[in-house]
Amino acid sequence: MGVVRELSLLGQAVSYLSTSPDIYRAWRTDPATPVGTASEPSSVTEGLPILDRYGYLWTSLGVPNGDLFDIPEYDEPDRRNIHAATIGVHCSAPRAIENFLDMGHFPYVHTGVLGIEPHTEVVDYDVQIDADSNELWATQCLFFQPMAAATSTAGEMVGYTYRVPHPYCSLLYKTSPLDESRMDVIGLFVRSVGPDRIEAHMILSLIDDSNTDSFIRRFQQSIFAQDKPILENQNPKLLPLDPRAETPIRSDRSAIAYRRWLSDLGVTYGVIPED
Amino acid sequence: MIKIYDYILSVNCYKQRLMMSILDVPFESIPIDFYPGWEHKSEEFKKINPLGHIPVIDDDGFMLRDAHAILIYLASKYDPTGLWYPTNNPELIGETAQWMLFAEGTTNTASAARLHVNLGYEFDIEACRAGAHRLFRVLEEHLWFREQENLGWVCSGEQPTIADIAIFPDVILSEEGGVARIDYPALRRWTDRVKRIPGFVPMPGIFPVGDARPISHEGEANA
Amino acid sequence: MTESLMNLWHPIASAEDLPYRHIFQGQLLGRELAVWRADDDFVNVWENRCLHRGTRLSIGRSDGLELRCQYHGWRYANRSAGCTYIPAHPADAPARTICNRTFPSVERYGLIWSGEEPTGEPPEIAALENAETLLLRNIAVNAPLNLVLGHLANYRFSITGDPDNLATTSMDYQDGCSLSLTATCDGKKSTVVFFVQPVDSNRSVIRGVLSNSPEGAERLLTLRHHSAELSRLRDIVELEALDGPSLEPMVATIEQVPIALPEITTPSGRKAALRVQVLRKWATAEGVVGLELESIGEPLPTHQPGAHIDVHLPNGLVRQYSLTNAPGEGSLYRLGVKLEADSRGGSACLHETVKEGDVLAISEPRNNFPLRRDAVKTILIAGGIGVTPLLSMAQTLRNNKLDYELHYFAQTDGHLAFPEVLHELGEAVVLHLGLSPDETSQALTALLAGPQPAMHIYVCGPGPMLEATRRIASEADWPDEAIHFEYFKNTIEVDSSSSFEVSLARSALTLEVPSGKTILEVLRDNGIALMSSCEQGACGTCEVTVIEGEPEHQDVYLNDSEKLAGQRIMTCVSRAKSPRLVLDI
Repeated sequence: MGVVRELSLLGQAVSYLSTSPDIYRAWRTDPATPVGTASEPSSVTEGLPILDRYGYLWTSLGVPNGDLFDIPEYDEPDRRNIHAATIGVHCSAPRAIENFLDMGHFPYVHTGVLGIEPHTEVVDYDVQIDADSNELWATQCLFFQPMAAATSTAGEMVGYTYRVPHPYCSLLYKTSPLDESRMDVIGLFVRSVGPDRIEAHMILSLIDDSNTDSFIRRFQQSIFAQDKPILENQNPKLLPLDPRAETPIRSDRSAIAYRRWLSDLGVTYGVIPED
Repeated sequence: MIKIYDYILSVNCYKQRLMMSILDVPFESIPIDFYPGWEHKSEEFKKINPLGHIPVIDDDGFMLRDAHAILIYLASKYDPTGLWYPTNNPELIGETAQWMLFAEGTTNTASAARLHVNLGYEFDIEACRAGAHRLFRVLEEHLWFREQENLGWVCSGEQPTIADIAIFPDVILSEEGGVARIDYPALRRWTDRVKRIPGFVPMPGIFPVGDARPISHEGEANA
Repeated sequence: MTESLMNLWHPIASAEDLPYRHIFQGQLLGRELAVWRADDDFVNVWENRCLHRGTRLSIGRSDGLELRCQYHGWRYANRSAGCTYIPAHPADAPARTICNRTFPSVERYGLIWSGEEPTGEPPEIAALENAETLLLRNIAVNAPLNLVLGHLANYRFSITGDPDNLATTSMDYQDGCSLSLTATCDGKKSTVVFFVQPVDSNRSVIRGVLSNSPEGAERLLTLRHHSAELSRLRDIVELEALDGPSLEPMVATIEQVPIALPEITTPSGRKAALRVQVLRKWATAEGVVGLELESIGEPLPTHQPGAHIDVHLPNGLVRQYSLTNAPGEGSLYRLGVKLEADSRGGSACLHETVKEGDVLAISEPRNNFPLRRDAVKTILIAGGIGVTPLLSMAQTLRNNKLDYELHYFAQTDGHLAFPEVLHELGEAVVLHLGLSPDETSQALTALLAGPQPAMHIYVCGPGPMLEATRRIASEADWPDEAIHFEYFKNTIEVDSSSSFEVSLARSALTLEVPSGKTILEVLRDNGIALMSSCEQGACGTCEVTVIEGEPEHQDVYLNDSEKLAGQRIMTCVSRAKSPRLVLDI
C-alpha cells in the first residue's frame, strides 16, 4: 500500500504513488483513487508510463518517443550522485533552461563565484545539433571563474560543455577540480507545473570524495538561488521564439540555437511560438 | 569564534550573518543540510536545539537560539556604539522591541510564502500573501512618514537598529513568495538604504545596490 | 475607455519617489515602468525590461548617468536609453538600434507625468498654479479607476488636520481621472486635487495634491490626517471592488526589436541624419574652440565613449570630430576643434564662420574607437587635440569607478582643452607639457615599460606620436589587441599606382580597378553603394571582408595582426598585392 499524491505536469493533474521496494505508478488524477488515500499499485490499470532514473521519477502524458536520454557518467562506480535540491520558481521551463546555458551573466548574478568583473568577455564557442540524437550541444565554452566549484580555491579559465537532450532538461560538464582527466556533471531537470511555473530539480554527478553532501548542496543551492530572482523578473515569462522579440548577441549562440531547436521540435508549452 | 548553525537560504540565518558582518564580528558557518536533508530535524541536531530550528549560535560555549534573540545578543555584546540595540534610550528600546515583534509577523507571512513556493512547505499561501500585504502597507506608511521627518529607519533614531535587520530579509525576498513590492515605493527605498549600510552582505537572491550619489554632487544639484 | 486613457498624461510617481541612484518601479495601463532620476536631474521613464532578455530594469542599478541591467550588465544611457556597453563583448561598440523603449516625462505639482502616447501637455490645474502645494502620501488601491474616483467624490477632510473637525466640501470639477474638492471651515479654505493613476484594470494609485502647505507641526498633522482618511477610503473601495466583476489584467504590447537596416548612403557615402543647433561656442584653449550642439527636434541618439560624428559644414566640407562628453551626460554633443594651420577649410570654417545659434547637419555618432570596460587598468594617452575622444572615455571610466590614467601631452597649459573637465577628473590626469619629440618618446617608453595582463592603452594624437607609440609598444612586447589607436588622418602615403581585379562574391560581378582609382570608387561607379566616411583609411567605415587574395593594406585603421590575417580591407585606400581579390559583397 502507498499514499496517493498529486502534482501538476504541463498543467495536468497527475496522481502517483510509490511502495517499497521500487514500485511506482502514475496516472491522470481520477476521483476513483482520491489524493491522500492509501492504495495498492495493482489497482492502477490505466497508468502513465513511469521510469525511475537519476534519482527521480519520470513520466509522460503521451507515448514517449524512445528511451530517456542517457547520462553514462551517472553509473560510474566512483562517482557521487547528489540530489542538490528541488526548488519552485515562478518562470517558464525554457527561460530556466536558457539561463542554465548562459555564461554572460556569471559576473553579475554569481558575482565572486562563477564570474567577477572585469572578466566579462564571452569568447566564441561552438554550437551544434547532433544529427543522430537531435540533442543540442555547446562546446569549447570558456569563462573566467573566481570559484567555479565548491572545491575551488582560486580564479581560473574554466571550460564547459553544455548539452540539451530534452526541451526542459539540460546538463553541463566541466573539468573536475580534483581530477583533470574527468568531467563533473551538473543536471537541471525541469518539471513544468504550468506554463510559467516550474519545479527545478538539480542533480550533481561528481568526482569528489572529500566534501560533505551538505557542503556541496550549499554551493549548488546558492547558485540557483542567485538565478531565481532573475528568472522571476523576466517579461514576458514565456520564452519568445521569434528572433526579433528580444536582442540576441554573438555570445547568445546557444540561446539562439535553443530557441530555433524548440521551434523545430514544435514545442508550444512555456513559449510564445513564432507567428 | 562564534559558530552559527546555518542554512544559506534561510532568512533567519541571514539576519545573523548580516548583523555579524555589519558589526565586523568574525564567525564560522556550520552548514546544516536544511533542505533536502532536514538535518535540523535530526536527533543529533535536536541535542543542539530541541525545537529543531536554525539558527543557533555557539559563542565560545554560550548557546543561543531564535533569530531575533540572537540579534539582541549580538548587538548587545559586539556593538561598542550601543546604537544597534539602543538600551540607553527607553523609547527607542520600546520601538525596537515593537518592530522586532512586527518582524515575527513578516517572517510568518512573507517568508512563509517564500518557503511554500520555493520548497513546497504546506501553508495557506493566499493567507500568507494577504497577511504580508497587510503588514507591508503598515510599514510603507510608517517609512513614508519617517522620510517626511528626514529619518530613514524603522525606529525613530537617526541610526538603523536590529529591527531594520530583522525585517529587511523578509521584505527583500518577498517576491520569491509572490508578494510584489511595486505598491510600496517607500519600502523599496528603505531596502536601498539598508543595502548601503557599511558592512552589508547579500545572500543568494539579493542583489547589492550601487553607491549613493557622492555628497559633493548633491550640494551642486541643490545649489 | 482604455484607448482614450492611452492618450492622456498620467502621474506615475511623485518627485520625492526618485532619490538619485534609485530605480522606481511603476506601472501605467498594465505596462511596467522603470523610472529613475539621473545626476543631471533628468527623469527617465523607460519600459521596465532590458531589450536583451526582458529582465526588469528596476532590479538593476544606476551610476548616475547610465543604468546597468542586473542580468548581463548591459548599460543604457540617461535620456536616450540607448545601449552604451555590452560586457560580454567588451571590444565591440553596441549596435545603435539597441535602445530601450522610453516614454515622455514632465515634472509638475511634485508629480512625474507620463503616458503611453500622450497628446499636448499635462493638465494645468488653476488651484495648483503658483501655489505652495503639499503632496499627500500616495495610496495604492486594488480597485479600478472609476470606482476609486466615485468614492473620492465624497471625500471629506479637515483643514487643520484635526479628524474631529471635518469641513464641508464642494466639488470644483471632475473628469475621467481626476477631481478637485474645496473644503471650507471657519472661514478658511483648502483645495485638494486628486489624480487617479490607472495602474491596471483593477489597480489604481490615488495621488493627492493640496493647494496650500501648512507650516511646522501642522504639516505633518495634515499629511497624517489625509493618509488615515484615504486609507480608510481605500479599505471601503477594495471591499466593493471584491463584489464587482473580476477584470482581466491589461496586456501591454511589447514592441519588436527593430532590424538593423544598413544605412542608406548618399552618393558621397555620407549621411547627415541629424540637425543640431550650436548652443555654445567658446575658446577652450589656445587655438581650440569648444562647441556644444543641441538637437532640434528629436533627442540626440546615444553615443558611446570614443565615438565621432561627421559635421557637414556650411562651406560644403564634411569633417569628423570626436565627442568629448560621456554617454548620458546631457542631451548634447560636445566637440573640441583645433584650428589647423594647413586647414583646407574645415576647422577654419568652424572657428571663423560658425556661431552660436547656427544650425548644422551632422551624422549619427559612429564608434570606431570603442572603449573596453573590462580592463584592470586603462591608460589613455592624448597628444594635443587628440584628447577629445579620451575625455569621453575618462569620464565614463570615472563614472564606472574603473581604474584609469589620462596622460595628456601638450605644448603649454594654455593648450590644454576643456580644463574644467580635467580639473573634475582630478588626480587621474597626468600632464606632460612642452616635451620635445625625444622627450615624448622617453615619456611614452616609461609609460609602456612592460605589458601587463588585462591592461589596455588608448592613444589619440598627431601621426608621429601615434607611430612612436606603436613602435614603442611593439618593442615592449605589448600585444596588438591591448593598444587601441584613433587616427584622424592617415599619414601613410597612399600608393594607387597598381591595377588589379576585384570579384564580388555575393553580386557575381568582376571589376577592374585601374591605377589612380580606389576600390571604393570603382564600386560606386558600378552602382554598389558602400558606406564610407574619412576616405583616408582611418575610420574603418568602408571595411569589407576579403574571401580570397592578398590585400595591400595602406590604412591605419587595422592593427598589425589584423593586417597580417588579411581578412579585412579598407576599400578607400588599400589595394591588392595579388592580381585578384574576392570580396564578400
